[in-house]
Amino acid sequence: MTTEVLHKKTHRYLSGAAMPAETKQIQNWLSCIDDKEVKLSGKEKERIENEILAEVQAYTAYPLFYPKAEPWWKKITAVF
Amino acid sequence: MSRNFTPDETLIDQLFLNDTSAFEEIHHRYCYSLYAYCAGKLSSAADARQIVRDIFILLWEKRHTLPVGFSLSLYLYTEVRKCVVRCINEKLETSEDLATLEKKVIPGFAVMNLQKARQPVKRIACENIVTKKEKYQDPWWNYNPSGINIKVIKNTLQKAFNLL
Repeated sequence: MTTEVLHKKTHRYLSGAAMPAETKQIQNWLSCIDDKEVKLSGKEKERIENEILAEVQAYTAYPLFYPKAEPWWKKITAVF
Repeated sequence: MSRNFTPDETLIDQLFLNDTSAFEEIHHRYCYSLYAYCAGKLSSAADARQIVRDIFILLWEKRHTLPVGFSLSLYLYTEVRKCVVRCINEKLETSEDLATLEKKVIPGFAVMNLQKARQPVKRIACENIVTKKEKYQDPWWNYNPSGINIKVIKNTLQKAFNLL
């Protein structure tokens, strides 16, 4: 398949005008699980998660509008 | 980060009440798997990151309008699939990164490769079949700290059921 053909197919798929065979082909491709998936360490995964979360927070600014309530033990320790 | 075992439905209810901890828990549960899926399909960490970020931003923005009986995992995986196709389409339109697409994405559409879509299920199903021989070779099946014979246990249970 060439890039032109793939472009036509993805365009038709997104606009809902794809033939059943094209839809099946794209959906099968989406369902294929890659065996060669790169396995990252736990720390690496956490780093990626935190970076994405920071980007979401920066975009939505939800920590400013809905700050987290401090846990009870923090309030007590703050007294001392 | 401490984790909890709250079901997705409860987290969605909490999200409706603007609970940011619930949102972060959802993010922690699904973020990496969505990212790995996108990165695998697009062979681009930057695109994967952008797609996952946009999906979670949309989830946060739509939190008050989520329908009753909303399935979080279904929603996230449907969205990620749509976004992957959209991303490929945009790249093809702008002729951006065509070399990567030709090398890594297009071969995936070959019929031989598409047949793999059914293989993992088969493989898992085959792996889960444990023959009787294998079952008794497994030390966990033979683990019996009480020392009571299994036949004795079976008979005792049978007697108990009969009495009931």
